[in-house]
Amino acid sequence: MHKRSSVFSNISGIFAIIFMGFPVYWMVSTSFKRREEVLSVEPRFLPTSLTLENYRDAFSREGFTTSLRNSIIVVLITVVISLLLATFASVAIARTKFRGKKSFITSLLVVQMLPLSALIIPLFLLLTKLQLTNKIGGLAITYVAFILPFTIWTLRGFLANIPVDIEEAALVDGCTRIQAYRYVLMPLMAPGLVATAIFAFIQAWNEFLLAYIIMQSQENLTLPVWLAGFTTRTGTDWGPLMAASTVVALPVVIFFSLIQKRIATGVTSGAVKG
Amino acid sequence: MTTLTSKIQVKRTYWPYLLIAPSLFIILLILGFPVFRLITLSFQKFGLEEIIAEKPIWLGFENFKVLLGDPEFWIVLLRTFLFTFGMVAVSIVVGAWLAHLMVRMNAVIRWILNTTLILVWAMPALVGISVWKWMFSYEFSIITSTINRLGFDFAQRNWFTNTFSGFSIIGGIVAWGAIPFITISIYAALTQVPKELLEAAAIDGASSRQIFRNVILPILLPIYVILISLSIIWDFQVFTQIWVVLDNRPPSEYYTMAIYAFEKSFGLSEYGMGAAIALLMIISLLGVTWYYIRKMVAIGDSNA
Repeated sequence: MHKRSSVFSNISGIFAIIFMGFPVYWMVSTSFKRREEVLSVEPRFLPTSLTLENYRDAFSREGFTTSLRNSIIVVLITVVISLLLATFASVAIARTKFRGKKSFITSLLVVQMLPLSALIIPLFLLLTKLQLTNKIGGLAITYVAFILPFTIWTLRGFLANIPVDIEEAALVDGCTRIQAYRYVLMPLMAPGLVATAIFAFIQAWNEFLLAYIIMQSQENLTLPVWLAGFTTRTGTDWGPLMAASTVVALPVVIFFSLIQKRIATGVTSGAVKG
Repeated sequence: MTTLTSKIQVKRTYWPYLLIAPSLFIILLILGFPVFRLITLSFQKFGLEEIIAEKPIWLGFENFKVLLGDPEFWIVLLRTFLFTFGMVAVSIVVGAWLAHLMVRMNAVIRWILNTTLILVWAMPALVGISVWKWMFSYEFSIITSTINRLGFDFAQRNWFTNTFSGFSIIGGIVAWGAIPFITISIYAALTQVPKELLEAAAIDGASSRQIFRNVILPILLPIYVILISLSIIWDFQVFTQIWVVLDNRPPSEYYTMAIYAFEKSFGLSEYGMGAAIALLMIISLLGVTWYYIRKMVAIGDSNA
């Protein structure tokens, strides 16, 4: 329902681009500025000369490589486990009937609304008791739990759009149920699996509060917690902080642009159809 | 016929349970048990001594009595409501307004705006916070210097000594991060309004105002309700933005329910009291988002 463009809409659009986009621009442009220019009381909107020294400083800063490594490991474990478990569970709710299914689905949807900042207190006590704090496995299992409801629900949506007849044909042709899933259903689910994997990746890569509470020792930080520690009592290294922020944001921006459409329609689609 | 076969399946198959078992186990352990523990914890005195002795002291409603009798609790609750209301109002109004204008924008401007929104949406929370902290830093703030260049005299300025400007900036970070999702969702819904409906209304002589009120609005209403409910849920529990912007040591004027519960638990090791605050936080949220929860339950029912 696009209408003829109006001057007022276009001007508002330009203002919106400037206001929404400025922080991103300011981050990237600061990251390429020389130190003297970053620390100037009269900052300029355009950098006068470009340098990579902030990136060098950020990469050589204490904790960068270990945090990067920790983040990558946590993300990989989270993505693999949550995808595997979500595939099983989504097949169960999209393809079979069982007693308790309704309450399982309802709790998947309701549990996503629990405020993390309220749950963190008993969760921390639980993980302490299980001796899972300060362990990458403990953080990853927590991420899996928080990501699973959404991933199961999303995969179920993909599965619901694949006709059951295809698997039944495979069964008729002599496949076992497992073979039918493995060779017929899985390839058809691939796009859904990719989208879900990217979603899990972004969630685990960005998460701050759980990582901040669960991983306390210096060698166990993830990138967001490492970023939050840039400001010390002696001040903040703004140039390297902006370079580090750009680096942390980059993979998310790339992956996010790949699945953005699906998420935008996914969240609200229930409103129209349900 | 279908109910008959389904009944047989229910009786004979156990493997759906095997398939959901691992997910169910992890969700119950990491999300379910803590909800239960949060409730029991809020009726206990549970500090460092009790953790070491592994023996909590049951207090009954003592924690809640202390909290509800403490003026600070009410101030924090009111502050959280006001802060949430401000953020939800700004992000929904600006987000919706932009979405409705996007329909009437030049294609190039719309494409650039859309790309910008996706870029902002993709920013990790911690990255957004770092950039905003930098924009409002004490010595080198681009905002302060721009205001000064416009002829005001702000000199160097700590934006966070005044809680109003501090909360405005923190709320700005939250709204900035939330607007892309809101705008893109509403815009997507707007483009899905069936053309035939609009044309039929126009042929029947409806004015554009009437079309908006009687055709577009009823279609958009459920989406607005969902977006507002989600915004309330997200904004009410904002933690990271306040915590990190104030260098991991927010002063008590900046306490919201989430920070208050966190400080009581992890700062003062009064986990029972912290849990009581967190529980009251969930209860306040339930009241505000009741409609949304019912909607979710209905979706669960219709898909079972």
